[in-house]
Amino acid sequence: MEIAKKILKVKVNGRPYEMLIKPKTTLLQLLRNDLGLTGAKQACMDNSCGACTVIVDKMAVKACSVLALQVNGREVTTVEGLASRDGKLHPLQQTFLDFHAFQCGFCTPGKLMSAKAMLDENLHPNEEDIRRDMEGNLCRCTGYKQYIDAIKAVAQKKEGAK
Amino acid sequence: MRDFEYLPTKTIKEACSLISQYKEEGKILAGGQSLITLLRQKLISPSYLIDIKGISELNYITFDEKNGLRMGALTTHRAIEKSPIIQKKYNVLSEMEKSVASVQTRNWGTIGGNLCSADPIGDPAPSLIALSAKIKIVSSRGGKTIPLDEFFTDYFTTLLEPDEILTEIQLPSPVAHTGVVYMKFSTIEAGIKIVSTSISITLESDRRTCKDAKIVMSAVAPVPFNAKKAGNLMAGKKINDDLIAEAAQLASEETNPTPDVHASAEFRREIANVLVKRAIKQAFEKAKIA
Amino acid sequence: MLIQEKFLVKATINRVWEFANNPEEIGSCVPGCEKIEKIDERRYLTIVQAGVGPIKVRFKFISTITEIDEPKHIHLESQGADMGKAGSFTQKSDVDLREISENEVEVSYISNINVVGRLATFGERVMRAQAKKIGEQFIRSFKEKIEAKKEIKS
Repeated sequence: MEIAKKILKVKVNGRPYEMLIKPKTTLLQLLRNDLGLTGAKQACMDNSCGACTVIVDKMAVKACSVLALQVNGREVTTVEGLASRDGKLHPLQQTFLDFHAFQCGFCTPGKLMSAKAMLDENLHPNEEDIRRDMEGNLCRCTGYKQYIDAIKAVAQKKEGAK
Repeated sequence: MRDFEYLPTKTIKEACSLISQYKEEGKILAGGQSLITLLRQKLISPSYLIDIKGISELNYITFDEKNGLRMGALTTHRAIEKSPIIQKKYNVLSEMEKSVASVQTRNWGTIGGNLCSADPIGDPAPSLIALSAKIKIVSSRGGKTIPLDEFFTDYFTTLLEPDEILTEIQLPSPVAHTGVVYMKFSTIEAGIKIVSTSISITLESDRRTCKDAKIVMSAVAPVPFNAKKAGNLMAGKKINDDLIAEAAQLASEETNPTPDVHASAEFRREIANVLVKRAIKQAFEKAKIA
Repeated sequence: MLIQEKFLVKATINRVWEFANNPEEIGSCVPGCEKIEKIDERRYLTIVQAGVGPIKVRFKFISTITEIDEPKHIHLESQGADMGKAGSFTQKSDVDLREISENEVEVSYISNINVVGRLATFGERVMRAQAKKIGEQFIRSFKEKIEAKKEIKS
């Protein structure tokens, strides 16, 4: 018996999409396979590493553990949507580069999206806040310090700008 | 994962009707933070997924002094963590939620889904039991309210019938002279918890005698574990270090931990003893000034 | 996964041996046992249903008795898989009977079970919990059934 495909209407990085998909499609599969947005990564298979983190309606979520159909009518932001149209990097991306925050880069898109969601919600995170809110993004290369320092720097810049 | 039919619902009535139609062939989907993982690992394969995440009438936090707190089952962990009223009146919940999984899971996962997945290492359940929580369960056959303490029957198993849906969590209004504490132990700060405990101590007006003690632990038994003997030991007695040590020892003896790669049964028992002792002391101090 | 148990049964050693070697009687002690069938003198086919919470598995396996020392010792080896493809396993078990008195026997067994597949990767915690529970239920049933039979006989 053929399983009925369902209509999904979703905005991704500001662009509206309408597609027919199989219900078992996860948000991660939708982004990577159907939309060619391969920034979010598939890594752990048990909802623990955060390499697939994207932002849904301002909330950081793990795309591997969310059914695509559950974001019907919502807005999704991925790492591909961080830089501006003219190619200028988002402050987080630039600071990650400046601080040499990543090595292999596999966890980095997830880290960027978690950090963005956190900074959009909390303008003045201290180191404890940052460490706690970034707990869901594992990294095998860096030992985390460079990431934390980079995020702290962006947070302080934001505070300075106020 | 294997294919399934996807059925989104907008009302409780609709969801009840669908799940009573499909029973064991169907599964209720809320945030999916436990369910989707099981589906991806192909450990379960329901033919129908009934999505209730869109039922707005199940997403609320309300409080009044007389009836206490009412939370809809679809309240996310993050909402509990950040709720001003919960931070004010049931701060232990907000503190406990800060260390549930990760921000991403807390943003999408729901308290109802968490309770129904009945993981023995889950933290919300012991905290809610320590707060004397009740839950409301509905189906097309009717509804009932039961103490959360009675909900869990075995590893990953609850009293929920195949056609029932958990809709609400109820907490009584905070009681005077009560201190509630959540404490956890893990070998790595953000790692999997070895043991956690939620303890509620209510004092008599003399602020020394224990009126009621609830000692609840996770990861030491097939279900969230309410160490009733230890709690009863404390009731009616003046609290001092000896009583606390005795209660902690008794609580640890009551447990029945399963060993795994993270900890042996003996280690869990020992940690439970130490953790309960520390947490009772803290709860006692909190109760004195409450 | 190592499972080790020791328990006392109030029956004669011969009765316990007879019970342990009878597929129907032993099968009735295993929770979720759907069938045990003798293939030949040393081999049995067994289907057992198990599950915890929402996860259900159905194991089909063949057990071979490789060592037998009546009425004291059996060594058996099993190989099988979940019919829903959640995993497969191999198992080596030693069962020893020791006569304590004329009507009391100490049964001890050591089982070394090796599970591979999704059940092992994702279900490790759950499996251990279930193994413990199934072991406890098995011992309870074993004792009840042997000791009950004994009462009827006398």
